Amino acid sequence: MIADAATGVALALRGEGDPYALSRTLRQGDALALAAIRVLGADALAPYALGHRAGPGGEDESVVREALAAYPPGVAASDVSVWSYRGLIEASHAFLNGGADGWPRPPEAGAGWIGTDPWPRLSHRASQLAALALPGLAPGLAEALAARTDDLSRGFVRAVRRQDWLQAAGLGRWLARLPEVPPTLGLDGGLAFVRQMSGGDARVALHVVAARRFHGRGW
Amino acid sequence: MTGGRGDPALLDRLVGDGLGWLDGARASFRLPPDVTTDADPNTTLKPLGELAELTELTRTAHPRREIRERADALFAFAWQETGEGELFAELIRGEPRATYPVELYGIFAQAGLRHAAVEELLVTTTGLRGWRVAREDHTRTLGVLNAERRIGLPRHAAADAEFAHTGLGLLPEPWTLDRKAAYGVTHDVFHLTDWGRARRRLPAAHAGYLRLWLPAWLECWLEEQLWDLVGELLAVTACLPDAPYDAAAWQRLAAAQTSDGAVPETGTATRSADPAETFLACYHSTLVTVFAGTLARIAATEAADGPAAAGRPPFESEAAP
Repeated sequence: MIADAATGVALALRGEGDPYALSRTLRQGDALALAAIRVLGADALAPYALGHRAGPGGEDESVVREALAAYPPGVAASDVSVWSYRGLIEASHAFLNGGADGWPRPPEAGAGWIGTDPWPRLSHRASQLAALALPGLAPGLAEALAARTDDLSRGFVRAVRRQDWLQAAGLGRWLARLPEVPPTLGLDGGLAFVRQMSGGDARVALHVVAARRFHGRGW
Repeated sequence: MTGGRGDPALLDRLVGDGLGWLDGARASFRLPPDVTTDADPNTTLKPLGELAELTELTRTAHPRREIRERADALFAFAWQETGEGELFAELIRGEPRATYPVELYGIFAQAGLRHAAVEELLVTTTGLRGWRVAREDHTRTLGVLNAERRIGLPRHAAADAEFAHTGLGLLPEPWTLDRKAAYGVTHDVFHLTDWGRARRRLPAAHAGYLRLWLPAWLECWLEEQLWDLVGELLAVTACLPDAPYDAAAWQRLAAAQTSDGAVPETGTATRSADPAETFLACYHSTLVTVFAGTLARIAATEAADGPAAAGRPPFESEAAP
Protein backbone atom coordinates (compact mmCIF):
# COMPACT_ATOMS: atom_id res chain seq x y z
CA MET A 1 0.00 0.00 0.00
CA ILE A 2 2.89 2.35 0.73
CA ALA A 3 4.34 1.61 -2.69
CA ASP A 4 0.98 2.23 -4.37
CA ALA A 5 0.54 5.48 -2.52
CA ALA A 6 4.09 6.56 -3.38
CA THR A 7 3.46 5.70 -7.01
CA GLY A 8 0.29 7.80 -6.96
CA VAL A 9 2.19 10.78 -5.53
CA ALA A 10 5.01 10.38 -8.06
CA LEU A 11 2.53 10.19 -10.95
CA ALA A 12 0.82 13.33 -9.76
CA LEU A 13 4.15 15.14 -9.45
CA ARG A 14 4.95 14.15 -13.01
CA GLY A 15 1.62 15.56 -14.07
CA GLU A 16 0.31 12.18 -15.17
CA GLY A 17 -2.86 10.35 -14.29
CA ASP A 18 -6.02 11.80 -12.77
CA PRO A 19 -5.87 14.92 -10.60
CA TYR A 20 -4.47 13.86 -7.25
CA ALA A 21 -6.67 13.19 -4.29
CA LEU A 22 -5.01 11.58 -1.29
CA SER A 23 -8.30 10.21 -0.01
CA ARG A 24 -8.84 8.30 -3.24
CA THR A 25 -5.80 6.08 -2.61
CA LEU A 26 -5.70 6.15 1.15
CA ARG A 27 -9.12 6.03 2.66
CA GLN A 28 -10.45 6.95 6.05
CA GLY A 29 -11.02 4.16 8.48
CA ASP A 30 -8.41 1.89 6.90
CA ALA A 31 -5.65 1.24 9.43
CA LEU A 32 -3.13 0.35 6.74
CA ALA A 33 -3.91 3.53 4.84
CA LEU A 34 -3.36 5.59 7.96
CA ALA A 35 -0.04 3.86 8.56
CA ALA A 36 0.95 4.55 4.95
CA ILE A 37 0.22 8.25 5.44
CA ARG A 38 2.34 8.25 8.57
CA VAL A 39 5.19 6.58 6.66
CA LEU A 40 4.97 8.91 3.66
CA GLY A 41 4.66 11.88 6.02
CA ALA A 42 4.54 15.22 4.25
CA ASP A 43 4.85 13.44 0.91
CA ALA A 44 1.26 12.26 1.20
CA LEU A 45 0.39 15.87 0.43
CA ALA A 46 3.26 16.64 -1.94
CA PRO A 47 1.10 17.07 -5.06
CA TYR A 48 -0.78 19.89 -3.35
CA ALA A 49 2.51 21.75 -3.03
CA LEU A 50 2.31 22.27 -6.80
CA GLY A 51 -0.43 24.80 -6.22
CA HIS A 52 -3.60 22.79 -6.60
CA ARG A 53 -4.43 22.90 -2.95
CA ALA A 54 -7.20 20.87 -1.44
CA GLY A 55 -10.07 22.81 0.02
CA PRO A 56 -10.73 22.88 3.75
CA GLY A 57 -12.80 20.26 5.43
CA GLY A 58 -12.57 17.73 2.61
CA GLU A 59 -11.90 14.03 2.82
CA ASP A 60 -8.18 14.58 2.45
CA GLU A 61 -8.13 16.71 5.55
CA SER A 62 -10.12 14.11 7.46
CA VAL A 63 -7.87 11.24 6.53
CA VAL A 64 -4.75 13.21 7.47
CA ARG A 65 -6.29 14.20 10.80
CA GLU A 66 -7.11 10.57 11.39
CA ALA A 67 -3.54 9.48 10.62
CA LEU A 68 -2.11 12.14 12.93
CA ALA A 69 -4.45 11.03 15.70
CA ALA A 70 -3.69 7.34 15.16
CA TYR A 71 0.10 7.57 15.17
CA PRO A 72 1.33 10.35 17.44
CA PRO A 73 4.98 10.00 18.40
CA GLY A 74 5.28 8.48 21.85
CA VAL A 75 7.41 9.87 24.63
CA ALA A 76 10.30 7.65 23.59
CA ALA A 77 9.93 8.38 19.88
CA SER A 78 13.11 8.95 17.91
CA ASP A 79 13.94 12.42 16.65
CA VAL A 80 13.31 11.16 13.12
CA SER A 81 9.84 9.99 14.04
CA VAL A 82 9.01 13.34 15.68
CA TRP A 83 10.35 15.28 12.71
CA SER A 84 8.36 13.18 10.30
CA TYR A 85 5.16 13.72 12.30
CA ARG A 86 5.90 17.39 12.48
CA GLY A 87 6.44 17.42 8.73
CA LEU A 88 2.98 16.03 8.12
CA ILE A 89 1.45 18.74 10.32
CA GLU A 90 3.48 21.44 8.59
CA ALA A 91 2.42 20.12 5.19
CA SER A 92 -1.22 20.10 6.32
CA HIS A 93 -0.96 23.76 7.33
CA ALA A 94 0.79 24.67 4.14
CA PHE A 95 -1.06 22.65 1.53
CA LEU A 96 -4.55 21.88 2.81
CA ASN A 97 -5.78 25.45 3.05
CA GLY A 98 -7.26 24.65 6.41
CA GLY A 99 -5.00 27.04 8.20
CA ALA A 100 -3.46 26.21 11.54
CA ASP A 101 -6.68 25.80 13.40
CA GLY A 102 -7.63 22.55 14.94
CA TRP A 103 -4.49 20.65 13.99
CA PRO A 104 -2.26 19.06 16.60
CA ARG A 105 0.45 21.41 17.75
CA PRO A 106 3.71 20.60 15.91
CA PRO A 107 5.88 18.84 18.50
CA GLU A 108 9.35 20.12 19.21
CA ALA A 109 11.78 17.87 17.38
CA GLY A 110 15.34 17.39 18.56
CA ALA A 111 17.92 18.92 16.22
CA GLY A 112 21.16 18.47 18.13
CA TRP A 113 22.09 15.45 16.02
CA ILE A 114 22.30 17.57 12.89
CA GLY A 115 25.35 19.30 14.24
CA THR A 116 26.96 16.38 16.02
CA ASP A 117 26.24 13.13 14.16
CA PRO A 118 29.13 11.65 12.20
CA TRP A 119 28.26 11.96 8.53
CA PRO A 120 27.18 8.33 7.91
CA ARG A 121 24.59 8.53 10.70
CA LEU A 122 23.56 12.06 9.79
CA SER A 123 23.02 10.91 6.21
CA HIS A 124 20.90 7.97 7.28
CA ARG A 125 18.65 10.18 9.39
CA ALA A 126 18.39 12.98 6.84
CA SER A 127 17.39 10.53 4.13
CA GLN A 128 14.55 9.28 6.34
CA LEU A 129 13.30 12.86 6.48
CA ALA A 130 13.47 13.51 2.75
CA ALA A 131 9.75 14.36 2.62
CA LEU A 132 10.58 17.49 4.61
CA ALA A 133 12.62 18.69 1.66
CA LEU A 134 9.34 19.88 0.13
CA PRO A 135 9.54 23.61 -0.57
CA GLY A 136 8.95 25.79 2.45
CA LEU A 137 8.72 23.00 5.00
CA ALA A 138 11.05 22.78 7.99
CA PRO A 139 13.17 25.83 7.17
CA GLY A 140 15.21 25.41 10.33
CA LEU A 141 16.02 21.80 9.48
CA ALA A 142 16.99 22.76 5.95
CA GLU A 143 19.25 25.51 7.23
CA ALA A 144 20.97 23.21 9.68
CA LEU A 145 21.45 20.54 7.02
CA ALA A 146 22.83 23.14 4.60
CA ALA A 147 25.75 23.60 7.00
CA ARG A 148 26.55 19.93 6.39
CA THR A 149 26.09 19.79 2.65
CA ASP A 150 29.50 18.20 2.07
CA ASP A 151 28.75 15.50 4.62
CA LEU A 152 25.37 14.73 3.08
CA SER A 153 27.09 14.55 -0.30
CA ARG A 154 29.49 11.99 1.15
CA GLY A 155 26.48 10.11 2.42
CA PHE A 156 25.06 10.08 -1.11
CA VAL A 157 28.32 8.60 -2.40
CA ARG A 158 28.33 5.91 0.26
CA ALA A 159 24.66 5.07 -0.27
CA VAL A 160 25.12 4.62 -4.02
CA ARG A 161 28.22 2.53 -3.45
CA ARG A 162 26.20 0.32 -1.08
CA GLN A 163 23.29 0.22 -3.52
CA ASP A 164 21.07 1.62 -0.80
CA TRP A 165 18.91 3.35 -3.39
CA LEU A 166 16.29 4.64 -0.96
CA GLN A 167 18.87 6.37 1.19
CA ALA A 168 20.63 7.72 -1.88
CA ALA A 169 17.39 9.07 -3.32
CA GLY A 170 16.41 10.72 -0.03
CA LEU A 171 19.81 12.36 0.28
CA GLY A 172 19.77 13.39 -3.36
CA ARG A 173 16.43 15.05 -2.77
CA TRP A 174 17.76 17.05 0.17
CA LEU A 175 20.84 18.00 -1.81
CA ALA A 176 18.57 19.22 -4.59
CA ARG A 177 17.06 21.69 -2.11
CA LEU A 178 20.38 22.81 -0.60
CA PRO A 179 22.16 25.70 -2.27
CA GLU A 180 25.80 24.66 -2.40
CA VAL A 181 26.12 21.07 -3.50
CA PRO A 182 29.69 20.31 -4.63
CA PRO A 183 29.69 20.35 -8.44
CA THR A 184 31.92 17.28 -8.64
CA LEU A 185 29.21 15.20 -6.96
CA GLY A 186 27.29 15.13 -10.24
CA LEU A 187 23.92 15.34 -8.51
CA ASP A 188 21.78 15.49 -11.64
CA GLY A 189 23.26 12.37 -13.17
CA GLY A 190 23.31 10.79 -9.74
CA LEU A 191 19.57 11.17 -9.25
CA ALA A 192 18.86 9.66 -12.66
CA PHE A 193 21.32 6.85 -11.94
CA VAL A 194 19.67 6.04 -8.62
CA ARG A 195 16.19 5.98 -10.17
CA GLN A 196 17.28 3.70 -12.99
CA MET A 197 19.37 1.35 -10.84
CA SER A 198 16.68 0.94 -8.21
CA GLY A 199 14.58 -1.14 -10.57
CA GLY A 200 11.43 0.87 -10.20
CA ASP A 201 11.20 1.18 -6.41
CA ALA A 202 8.22 3.46 -5.86
CA ARG A 203 9.62 5.44 -2.93
CA VAL A 204 12.93 5.97 -4.74
CA ALA A 205 11.03 7.20 -7.77
CA LEU A 206 9.02 9.57 -5.58
CA HIS A 207 12.15 11.20 -4.14
CA VAL A 208 13.74 11.56 -7.55
CA VAL A 209 10.66 13.04 -9.19
CA ALA A 210 10.24 15.44 -6.26
CA ALA A 211 13.84 16.60 -6.65
CA ARG A 212 13.11 17.25 -10.31
CA ARG A 213 9.69 18.85 -9.88
CA PHE A 214 10.41 21.12 -6.94
CA HIS A 215 14.09 21.87 -7.28
CA GLY A 216 14.87 21.27 -10.94
CA ARG A 217 17.61 18.72 -10.28
CA GLY A 218 18.12 15.35 -11.94
CA TRP A 219 16.40 13.92 -14.96
CA MET B 1 38.31 13.88 9.83
CA THR B 2 40.39 16.61 11.35
CA GLY B 3 43.45 18.47 10.27
CA GLY B 4 46.45 18.55 12.52
CA ARG B 5 49.03 16.43 14.10
CA GLY B 6 47.60 12.99 14.06
CA ASP B 7 48.71 10.38 16.52
CA PRO B 8 52.47 9.88 16.14
CA ALA B 9 52.63 7.11 18.75
CA LEU B 10 50.00 5.04 16.95
CA LEU B 11 51.58 5.70 13.54
CA ASP B 12 55.06 4.79 14.74
CA ARG B 13 53.84 1.58 16.30
CA LEU B 14 52.03 0.63 13.08
CA VAL B 15 55.09 1.35 10.95
CA GLY B 16 57.59 -0.17 13.35
CA ASP B 17 55.61 -3.37 13.86
CA GLY B 18 54.99 -3.63 10.12
CA LEU B 19 58.70 -3.31 9.37
CA GLY B 20 59.37 -5.97 11.99
CA TRP B 21 57.06 -8.41 10.26
CA LEU B 22 58.52 -7.58 6.84
CA ASP B 23 62.02 -8.14 8.18
CA GLY B 24 61.00 -11.56 9.41
CA ALA B 25 59.54 -12.32 5.99
CA ARG B 26 62.77 -11.77 4.07
CA ALA B 27 62.93 -15.42 3.05
CA SER B 28 59.61 -15.04 1.27
CA PHE B 29 60.81 -11.96 -0.61
CA ARG B 30 63.89 -13.78 -1.93
CA LEU B 31 63.89 -14.29 -5.68
CA PRO B 32 64.07 -17.88 -6.94
CA PRO B 33 66.76 -18.90 -9.43
CA ASP B 34 64.19 -19.08 -12.25
CA VAL B 35 62.91 -15.54 -11.65
CA THR B 36 63.65 -14.41 -15.21
CA THR B 37 62.25 -17.52 -16.86
CA ASP B 38 59.52 -19.67 -15.37
CA ALA B 39 58.67 -18.13 -12.00
CA ASP B 40 55.37 -16.32 -11.54
CA PRO B 41 56.22 -12.61 -11.44
CA ASN B 42 53.20 -11.97 -9.22
CA THR B 43 54.78 -13.94 -6.40
CA THR B 44 58.40 -12.98 -7.02
CA LEU B 45 59.17 -9.69 -8.77
CA LYS B 46 56.00 -7.93 -7.66
CA PRO B 47 56.51 -8.43 -3.92
CA LEU B 48 60.19 -7.51 -4.15
CA GLY B 49 59.43 -4.41 -6.21
CA GLU B 50 56.81 -3.33 -3.72
CA LEU B 51 59.23 -3.93 -0.87
CA ALA B 52 61.62 -1.51 -2.52
CA GLU B 53 59.05 1.08 -3.60
CA LEU B 54 57.22 1.21 -0.29
CA THR B 55 60.22 1.20 2.04
CA GLU B 56 62.21 3.81 0.12
CA LEU B 57 60.26 6.77 1.42
CA THR B 58 60.44 5.43 4.97
CA ARG B 59 64.22 4.94 4.78
CA THR B 60 64.80 8.49 3.62
CA ALA B 61 62.03 10.57 5.11
CA HIS B 62 60.62 9.06 8.29
CA PRO B 63 61.24 11.47 11.19
CA ARG B 64 62.54 8.68 13.49
CA ARG B 65 66.03 7.42 12.87
CA GLU B 66 65.55 3.86 14.10
CA ILE B 67 62.60 3.45 11.74
CA ARG B 68 64.60 4.87 8.84
CA GLU B 69 67.38 2.40 9.58
CA ARG B 70 65.09 -0.61 9.62
CA ALA B 71 63.55 0.44 6.31
CA ASP B 72 66.99 1.10 4.87
CA ALA B 73 68.11 -2.43 5.70
CA LEU B 74 65.10 -3.86 3.87
CA PHE B 75 65.69 -1.63 0.87
CA ALA B 76 69.33 -2.72 0.73
CA PHE B 77 68.21 -6.34 0.95
CA ALA B 78 65.92 -5.79 -2.06
CA TRP B 79 68.79 -4.36 -4.11
CA GLN B 80 70.96 -7.33 -3.16
CA GLU B 81 68.22 -9.65 -4.37
CA THR B 82 68.35 -8.01 -7.80
CA GLY B 83 72.05 -8.83 -7.99
CA GLU B 84 72.72 -5.13 -7.58
CA GLY B 85 70.76 -4.45 -10.73
CA GLU B 86 71.99 -7.33 -12.88
CA LEU B 87 68.46 -8.77 -12.76
CA PHE B 88 67.11 -5.80 -14.71
CA ALA B 89 69.60 -6.26 -17.53
CA GLU B 90 68.39 -9.83 -17.89
CA LEU B 91 64.74 -8.84 -17.78
CA ILE B 92 65.19 -6.11 -20.37
CA ARG B 93 67.06 -8.43 -22.70
CA GLY B 94 64.24 -10.94 -22.34
CA GLU B 95 61.40 -8.44 -22.82
CA PRO B 96 62.71 -5.21 -24.32
CA ARG B 97 59.22 -3.73 -24.72
CA ALA B 98 58.04 -4.52 -21.20
CA THR B 99 57.66 -1.58 -18.84
CA TYR B 100 57.93 -3.41 -15.54
CA PRO B 101 61.74 -3.80 -15.53
CA VAL B 102 62.03 -0.06 -16.14
CA GLU B 103 59.53 0.77 -13.41
CA LEU B 104 61.32 -1.51 -10.95
CA TYR B 105 64.77 -0.23 -11.85
CA GLY B 106 63.53 3.33 -11.43
CA ILE B 107 62.92 2.73 -7.74
CA PHE B 108 66.56 1.92 -7.18
CA ALA B 109 67.94 4.43 -9.67
CA GLN B 110 66.22 7.21 -7.80
CA ALA B 111 68.06 6.12 -4.67
CA GLY B 112 71.36 6.27 -6.53
CA LEU B 113 71.65 2.53 -7.05
CA ARG B 114 72.46 2.08 -10.71
CA HIS B 115 73.76 -0.58 -13.06
CA ALA B 116 75.83 0.44 -16.07
CA ALA B 117 74.56 -2.23 -18.47
CA VAL B 118 70.94 -1.45 -17.61
CA GLU B 119 71.48 2.24 -18.24
CA GLU B 120 72.97 1.46 -21.63
CA LEU B 121 70.16 -0.90 -22.57
CA LEU B 122 67.49 1.61 -21.55
CA VAL B 123 68.84 4.35 -23.76
CA THR B 124 68.16 2.07 -26.70
CA THR B 125 64.90 0.35 -25.70
CA THR B 126 63.15 3.46 -24.42
CA GLY B 127 64.35 5.51 -27.36
CA LEU B 128 62.46 3.41 -29.90
CA ARG B 129 59.18 4.52 -31.48
CA GLY B 130 57.74 1.26 -30.26
CA TRP B 131 58.26 2.40 -26.67
CA ARG B 132 55.70 5.14 -27.23
CA VAL B 133 52.88 2.82 -28.28
CA ALA B 134 49.99 3.32 -25.88
CA ARG B 135 50.05 1.14 -22.78
CA GLU B 136 47.04 -0.53 -21.24
CA ASP B 137 45.85 2.52 -19.38
CA HIS B 138 46.80 6.09 -18.55
CA THR B 139 47.53 5.31 -14.92
CA ARG B 140 50.16 2.79 -15.93
CA THR B 141 51.63 5.26 -18.38
CA LEU B 142 51.98 7.76 -15.55
CA GLY B 143 53.95 5.11 -13.69
CA VAL B 144 56.25 4.60 -16.66
CA LEU B 145 56.74 8.36 -17.02
CA ASN B 146 57.66 8.59 -13.35
CA ALA B 147 60.20 5.80 -13.81
CA GLU B 148 61.70 7.60 -16.79
CA ARG B 149 62.00 10.74 -14.71
CA ARG B 150 63.61 8.84 -11.86
CA ILE B 151 66.16 7.25 -14.16
CA GLY B 152 66.82 10.46 -16.07
CA LEU B 153 65.50 9.23 -19.43
CA PRO B 154 63.61 11.50 -21.81
CA ARG B 155 59.92 11.17 -21.03
CA HIS B 156 58.01 9.53 -23.83
CA ALA B 157 54.78 11.48 -23.29
CA ALA B 158 53.52 14.55 -21.43
CA ALA B 159 52.57 13.68 -17.85
CA ASP B 160 49.93 16.42 -17.65
CA ALA B 161 48.13 15.15 -20.73
CA GLU B 162 48.22 11.58 -19.47
CA PHE B 163 46.98 12.59 -16.05
CA ALA B 164 44.07 14.47 -17.58
CA HIS B 165 42.69 11.16 -18.91
CA THR B 166 43.00 9.14 -15.72
CA GLY B 167 40.33 8.19 -13.24
CA LEU B 168 41.45 11.05 -11.05
CA GLY B 169 42.30 13.54 -13.78
CA LEU B 170 38.75 13.47 -15.13
CA LEU B 171 37.23 14.08 -11.69
CA PRO B 172 34.56 11.40 -12.20
CA GLU B 173 31.37 11.41 -10.18
CA PRO B 174 32.61 10.07 -6.84
CA TRP B 175 29.74 7.59 -6.52
CA THR B 176 30.89 5.74 -9.65
CA LEU B 177 34.10 4.57 -8.02
CA ASP B 178 34.38 0.80 -7.86
CA ARG B 179 37.24 -1.13 -6.39
CA LYS B 180 39.34 -1.17 -9.54
CA ALA B 181 38.80 2.54 -10.12
CA ALA B 182 39.74 3.22 -6.49
CA TYR B 183 43.11 1.53 -6.95
CA GLY B 184 43.47 3.58 -10.13
CA VAL B 185 42.89 6.84 -8.26
CA THR B 186 45.40 6.00 -5.55
CA HIS B 187 48.02 5.15 -8.14
CA ASP B 188 47.30 8.29 -10.14
CA VAL B 189 48.27 10.20 -7.00
CA PHE B 190 51.29 8.02 -6.26
CA HIS B 191 52.72 8.29 -9.76
CA LEU B 192 51.96 11.98 -10.16
CA THR B 193 53.50 12.89 -6.80
CA ASP B 194 56.41 10.45 -7.08
CA TRP B 195 54.92 8.40 -4.25
CA GLY B 196 54.34 11.33 -1.94
CA ARG B 197 57.72 13.00 -2.48
CA ALA B 198 56.35 15.83 -4.64
CA ARG B 199 52.92 16.32 -3.22
CA ARG B 200 52.50 19.78 -4.70
CA ARG B 201 52.29 18.30 -8.16
CA LEU B 202 48.72 17.44 -7.34
CA PRO B 203 46.66 20.23 -8.95
CA ALA B 204 44.54 22.23 -6.50
CA ALA B 205 41.25 21.15 -8.10
CA HIS B 206 42.18 17.49 -7.72
CA ALA B 207 43.39 17.96 -4.17
CA GLY B 208 40.05 19.60 -3.37
CA TYR B 209 38.19 16.74 -5.02
CA LEU B 210 40.11 14.18 -3.00
CA ARG B 211 39.65 16.10 0.24
CA LEU B 212 35.91 16.11 -0.34
CA TRP B 213 35.42 12.46 -1.35
CA LEU B 214 38.18 10.47 0.36
CA PRO B 215 36.19 10.23 3.62
CA ALA B 216 33.28 8.63 1.77
CA TRP B 217 35.51 6.15 -0.05
CA LEU B 218 37.44 5.33 3.09
CA GLU B 219 34.23 4.54 4.94
CA CYS B 220 33.11 2.20 2.14
CA TRP B 221 36.27 0.16 2.19
CA LEU B 222 36.64 0.24 5.95
CA GLU B 223 33.22 -1.41 6.04
CA GLU B 224 34.47 -4.01 3.58
CA GLN B 225 37.67 -4.38 5.64
CA LEU B 226 39.78 -4.17 2.52
CA TRP B 227 42.86 -3.08 4.40
CA ASP B 228 45.28 -2.56 1.55
CA LEU B 229 42.87 -0.15 -0.14
CA VAL B 230 42.18 1.53 3.20
CA GLY B 231 45.94 2.00 3.58
CA GLU B 232 46.28 3.39 0.07
CA LEU B 233 43.43 5.84 0.63
CA LEU B 234 45.02 6.95 3.90
CA ALA B 235 48.31 7.41 2.06
CA VAL B 236 46.54 9.59 -0.51
CA THR B 237 44.90 11.55 2.29
CA ALA B 238 48.35 12.22 3.73
CA CYS B 239 49.46 13.62 0.36
CA LEU B 240 46.93 16.46 0.51
CA PRO B 241 47.95 19.99 1.49
CA ASP B 242 47.43 20.43 5.24
CA ALA B 243 46.72 16.75 5.28
CA PRO B 244 43.62 15.83 7.26
CA TYR B 245 44.05 13.06 9.83
CA ASP B 246 41.21 10.56 10.04
CA ALA B 247 41.78 9.27 13.56
CA ALA B 248 38.95 6.72 13.44
CA ALA B 249 40.18 5.20 10.18
CA TRP B 250 43.74 4.88 11.49
CA GLN B 251 42.47 3.23 14.66
CA ARG B 252 40.49 0.72 12.64
CA LEU B 253 43.50 -0.06 10.46
CA ALA B 254 45.66 -0.41 13.57
CA ALA B 255 43.12 -2.82 15.03
CA ALA B 256 43.47 -4.99 11.90
CA GLN B 257 47.23 -5.33 12.45
CA THR B 258 48.11 -8.56 14.19
CA SER B 259 50.43 -8.74 17.18
CA ASP B 260 53.35 -9.76 14.95
CA GLY B 261 52.92 -6.66 12.79
CA ALA B 262 51.21 -8.19 9.74
CA VAL B 263 48.20 -6.51 8.18
CA PRO B 264 45.92 -8.89 6.31
CA GLU B 265 44.73 -7.92 2.86
CA THR B 266 41.13 -8.29 3.87
CA GLY B 267 39.00 -9.12 6.90
CA THR B 268 40.59 -10.46 10.01
CA ALA B 269 43.82 -12.36 9.98
CA THR B 270 43.51 -16.06 9.40
CA ARG B 271 46.76 -17.64 10.24
CA SER B 272 47.66 -20.33 7.78
CA ALA B 273 50.09 -23.08 8.69
CA ASP B 274 51.67 -22.42 5.32
CA PRO B 275 54.04 -19.42 5.62
CA ALA B 276 53.88 -18.81 1.87
CA GLU B 277 50.13 -18.40 2.10
CA THR B 278 50.38 -16.05 5.06
CA PHE B 279 53.01 -14.06 3.23
CA LEU B 280 50.88 -13.60 0.12
CA ALA B 281 47.85 -12.67 2.23
CA CYS B 282 49.71 -10.03 4.20
CA TYR B 283 52.80 -8.63 2.51
CA HIS B 284 51.05 -6.04 0.36
CA SER B 285 48.80 -4.60 3.06
CA THR B 286 51.68 -4.52 5.51
CA LEU B 287 53.88 -2.61 3.07
CA VAL B 288 51.07 -0.19 2.28
CA THR B 289 50.51 0.37 5.99
CA VAL B 290 54.20 1.19 6.49
CA PHE B 291 54.12 3.57 3.55
CA ALA B 292 50.85 5.29 4.57
CA GLY B 293 51.98 5.53 8.19
CA THR B 294 55.18 7.19 7.06
CA LEU B 295 53.33 9.74 4.92
CA ALA B 296 50.89 10.51 7.72
CA ARG B 297 53.76 10.83 10.18
CA ILE B 298 55.54 13.27 7.88
CA ALA B 299 52.32 15.27 7.54
CA ALA B 300 51.89 15.27 11.32
CA THR B 301 55.45 16.47 11.84
CA GLU B 302 55.01 19.21 9.29
CA ALA B 303 51.79 20.30 10.96
CA ALA B 304 53.63 20.51 14.27
CA ASP B 305 56.97 21.95 13.23
CA GLY B 306 56.70 23.21 9.67
CA PRO B 307 57.93 21.47 6.51
CA ALA B 308 61.63 21.78 7.25
CA ALA B 309 61.39 19.35 10.15
CA ALA B 310 60.09 16.40 8.15
CA GLY B 311 62.41 14.08 6.36
CA ARG B 312 66.09 14.27 5.75
CA PRO B 313 66.09 15.31 2.11
CA PRO B 314 63.67 18.18 1.78
CA PHE B 315 60.61 17.37 -0.25
CA GLU B 316 60.35 18.78 -3.70
CA SER B 317 58.12 21.77 -3.39
CA GLU B 318 57.64 23.05 -6.89
CA ALA B 319 54.73 22.23 -9.11
CA ALA B 320 56.42 21.14 -12.32
CA PRO B 321 56.62 17.37 -12.63
